[in-house]
Amino acid sequence: MKIDGRTLVLGIGNVLLGDEGVGVAVIDHLQAEGGLPSHVDLLDGGTGSLVLLEPMREARRMILIDATADGQPPGTVQRLEPRFSTEYPVTLTAHDIGLRDLLDSFYLLGEEPEVVLFAVSIGWPQDMRYSLSPEVAAALPAIAAAVRQECLRP
Amino acid sequence: MSNRIVIDPVTRIEGHLRIEAVVENGVVTDAYSAGTMVRGIEKILKGRDPRDAWAFTERVCGVCTTVHALASVRSVEDALSITVPKNAELVRNLMFCAQFVQDHVVHFYHLHALDWVDVVSMLKADPVATSKLAQSLSAWPKSNPGHFAAVQTRMKKFVESGQLGIFANGYWGHKAYKLPPEVNLLAVSHYLDALEWQKELVKIHAIFGGNNPHPNYLVGGVPCSFNLEDVGAINTERLNHVGSLINDAIAFVEQVYIPDLLAIASFYKDWGAIGGGLPNYLAYGDLPTKGYNDPSSYLLPRGAILNRNLNEIHEVNGKNLNEIKEYINHSWYQYGGGDGVGLHPFKGETEFNYTGPQPPYQHLNTDGKYSWLKTPRWKENPMEVGPLSRMLVAYAKGNTDVKELVGVVLKKLDVPITALFSTLGRTAARGVETQIVAHWMKGFYGDLIANLKAGETRTFTKEKWEPDTWPATAEGVGMTEAPRGALAHWVSIKDRVIDNYQLVVPTTWNASPRDPKGQRSAYEQALIGTPVANLEQPVEILRTIHSFDPCLACAVHLYDPSGKHIHQVQFY
Repeated sequence: MKIDGRTLVLGIGNVLLGDEGVGVAVIDHLQAEGGLPSHVDLLDGGTGSLVLLEPMREARRMILIDATADGQPPGTVQRLEPRFSTEYPVTLTAHDIGLRDLLDSFYLLGEEPEVVLFAVSIGWPQDMRYSLSPEVAAALPAIAAAVRQECLRP
Repeated sequence: MSNRIVIDPVTRIEGHLRIEAVVENGVVTDAYSAGTMVRGIEKILKGRDPRDAWAFTERVCGVCTTVHALASVRSVEDALSITVPKNAELVRNLMFCAQFVQDHVVHFYHLHALDWVDVVSMLKADPVATSKLAQSLSAWPKSNPGHFAAVQTRMKKFVESGQLGIFANGYWGHKAYKLPPEVNLLAVSHYLDALEWQKELVKIHAIFGGNNPHPNYLVGGVPCSFNLEDVGAINTERLNHVGSLINDAIAFVEQVYIPDLLAIASFYKDWGAIGGGLPNYLAYGDLPTKGYNDPSSYLLPRGAILNRNLNEIHEVNGKNLNEIKEYINHSWYQYGGGDGVGLHPFKGETEFNYTGPQPPYQHLNTDGKYSWLKTPRWKENPMEVGPLSRMLVAYAKGNTDVKELVGVVLKKLDVPITALFSTLGRTAARGVETQIVAHWMKGFYGDLIANLKAGETRTFTKEKWEPDTWPATAEGVGMTEAPRGALAHWVSIKDRVIDNYQLVVPTTWNASPRDPKGQRSAYEQALIGTPVANLEQPVEILRTIHSFDPCLACAVHLYDPSGKHIHQVQFY
């Protein structure tokens, strides 16, 4: 059920795989900074799953943050407004039910959401490591600022 | 004529399982199963506080998070001889049951059904006839002709647009699809209902675990406080919510899942003689009623069956160094003592040694190392794990709930008990287990409420929480069941930090490569004899592999930047 005016900021990724967890790192960063308006919900979606359909459906707008292995320098950020899951960039497949599977299910339920995706480029493959690379860690404040700005848009 | 076909990836959800199958005269004569991502969480855990391990292991998979956390806290509690309070046992059981029921239903509708249900055929169904069929099967309320017509219209749009991967990737129109259009429409309609329903049930995890998709666990108990009157605690209102979610779950399973399972299975009875595979079944069991250390109190019993002999159940001991061992002769690892030996997880090593081809490659060298999965064996035997193993062990141990429901299913399908040893049997066993576990969940809920009303609200023991109370060295095993099979974590603690940590996960049992004796593991064996009508559309292979509910996420991690969603099928 839609709750009026909620914005869901959903970070996806596996924090055990270094930069693959950048989506979750952005959520942690925003949480630590604080100061977001009360209509914004931050959610660490982790490796995701169909469980995430519930918070997704409660939101009017969704801001997704995920890693992509598109060959660009690590830490590069793209802002996208995909309308269908087929328009999503190359996401990483270490998520279990991937973002595209999740969104396919979301659309099947008849949802037509307003979705903004911040895709953060990372190198691939990533080692099993519980921290970000220096390149992506350095980009983190700028990514968080971009997401924050997106949250404040009317 | 012999063809070698490759399916990569096999999992419907994203994953990294590759199957190479040799097909002769339309039948699989040999098969190789490979995990194409590497897992190395063991390395991340070394040197950390064992009380934190659950939070890391929970992240290895988004599908069965809670069971990894459970295995982890149990392994540490076992090492430190901590017994959790009764309420903690009940809450853990409730979370376990919620996970099983949700995951099994999601598996059936969202990961497996499309191997049997032709979505495109659904467009030809008559909504009125579908409504009659639905009402003949069950009392589920959403069954009028208008509802089915609306579903049909909605799906038509998606099928025609080609924008949804889940419907774009099927082998629609394949002659192995045998359901009438009306049954297909019914199943797709319930596919959507199940999506809606599943996200409600797992709120149980958020209520007890504080968070989803990664709920909190705690060594020594559960991190929730009960106070029936307090709005800040888990109070009467939240507990009532849990109770109603459990009732809804029972209704969904009994009125939707089980009737659909039986209706679909009745068109595919030939699959009761295909895909049997290994004759050995292993279950660690779970749902203790008198503590983790008393397996005889588990509702899902522990045991092993060899050669399909249901008259003899073998005891299983996770700590006996001669029982569970992992081999790497066909896996991209190396052992300090040589690759020919098997190591018990307490002695386990995680050193990578990739010798395979650089991707993209045509095929793997299956004579040498060909997978990132190690090969676990129980007393040197290859074992199948999962719902079928659990239900067979429970059946053989004389569990009356299981015996009764298995009997009902066999009778309704009019198939002999030997049909359990098959692809169909695996899928049916999952349904049987779901219904039974849903009812057990209600029982645990009743016990918890009774405890709380009697004033027993303890959920945590502080005993042995402080590291200075620990011995210099300790080791423990946390055994549990993931929805897809036996799962255990082994921890060795030295000087108050983790010295070694090993996971043996269900898909490793089932999807692993051959052992040093050349014995196939469950997937490889189950594919032998599987018919393949059309080499370019090997839906039959997917049926058998998907019947195991493969999930490579915790078995392997890494590799493959291409994000392929369409099964890649190749011939050699």
